[in-house]
Amino acid sequence: MKIIGKVQSREKCAESGWFAYDYLLDGKMDREFILSLKPLGGFVYLDMLKQPFFKIENHYYILKGIQGNDYFRAAVHGGHQELLIRIEEYVAGC
Amino acid sequence: MIYLNNAATSYPKPVCVAESVQACLCDVPASQFRGGAQIQENTREEQCRNNLGKLLGVSDTSRIFFTSGATEALNTILGGLDMEGEILVTQTEHNSVLRPILNLNTAKRLQMQVVPCRADGEVTLEALEAAVTPKTKVLVVNHCSNVTGKVQDMDRIGKFARDHELFFLADVSQSAGCLSVRGEEWGADALAFTGHKGLLGMQGTGGFYIRPGFKLLPLKYGGTGTNSAQLTYEAGDYEYETGTRNLPGIASLCAGTDFILKKGLSEIMDTERRLMKLLYEGLSLISGVCVYGSYESCKGPVLSMNFRDLNPSDASYILWSSYGIILRSGLHCSPLIHKAMGTREKGTIRVSVSCFTTEEEIQEFLKAVGEIAASVQGRA
Repeated sequence: MKIIGKVQSREKCAESGWFAYDYLLDGKMDREFILSLKPLGGFVYLDMLKQPFFKIENHYYILKGIQGNDYFRAAVHGGHQELLIRIEEYVAGC
Repeated sequence: MIYLNNAATSYPKPVCVAESVQACLCDVPASQFRGGAQIQENTREEQCRNNLGKLLGVSDTSRIFFTSGATEALNTILGGLDMEGEILVTQTEHNSVLRPILNLNTAKRLQMQVVPCRADGEVTLEALEAAVTPKTKVLVVNHCSNVTGKVQDMDRIGKFARDHELFFLADVSQSAGCLSVRGEEWGADALAFTGHKGLLGMQGTGGFYIRPGFKLLPLKYGGTGTNSAQLTYEAGDYEYETGTRNLPGIASLCAGTDFILKKGLSEIMDTERRLMKLLYEGLSLISGVCVYGSYESCKGPVLSMNFRDLNPSDASYILWSSYGIILRSGLHCSPLIHKAMGTREKGTIRVSVSCFTTEEEIQEFLKAVGEIAASVQGRA
């Protein structure tokens, strides 16, 4: 999936001590795409929700999003912003 | 979109607020003390101060000063206290109280002591009595918790402050425009308020009241137009509104407070109480949801809740991304109260209404919460 936009989250207090970004994709995230993100960390997939929710947690970052949306959020700890590049590269290869 | 984040910033604003800002921007800028146009601008400022006097319960409106919000107001007051000893703050205080005390050099002369609260945010007289010492000089109390909606008994707390000869600062950021604020009757020496919440003004507005005769060391110095030749304040004749004022912001605050006074504070309170009752009752029927506080004990237009099996940050993300419902999750910039609530690690989901929130929106929210709770129940 191609990342076509990246903006810093407007909710700066929400991820205290973390820097959150919203990524815009060139298509809607389907189940297959979401499952392909599993290697990035601890994986939570709530497919019983009206619109399934996923979250991937690592010591230094969190990804979360909703199946069917064309955007997801990535929060990274202040000292590990370089990990965003790894995430971006991984997503581009999915 | 359903907006339930009014405790952060009220939305929507009355139409007259936007109109007043546009009218102000289209006016010739008032050049203070230099032209005829000042007459109109002063009228708007004075009208705003008069409105605020009514809503804050203070009669000497010349002691109300405009700032960029409650944060600047609290920095000005707390940093301007020329005294040493101990300062009591309640466990419900916002970071705009805690951080100035712990970081401003002037405020560091006051040792901070935290008065514990109950799980719903109530601060009891017993807790205050247990915390006060002969060294205590100042008491800061958040009138309405921005986390639980608990409203403190300010009459009794004000009497406590008088009995112990404490400088009494009431933070009415969450209550002004939503609840009855009676600064003088409480015996408050100072009040701090923001304009963009219940007072329905725009962001970047707010201010403080300081009782007549009390001098704060100023946080800022600059142009005022009073005496441009004077460079120092040897006689303590300080001024608290320096630089060019935010007249569009003050115009918005004037219009917002006009709206409240015309509509009637009691009608606004009734509307918001009715909505909160719907919320409390509706949430109590949903299995897997925990609400902190109750309709009976928490009378502000805000509550905190959590899903038993879902992180609050994830829940608020789902509510927005799947249901278009805007609310807030986390510690809400009030970290200490979460120890009393047992939510220090993850925080809560905060739901807050305004007089523009509809019953249909509350029902939609409850429906969404019910769907999510039913879906995730037993997952954790």
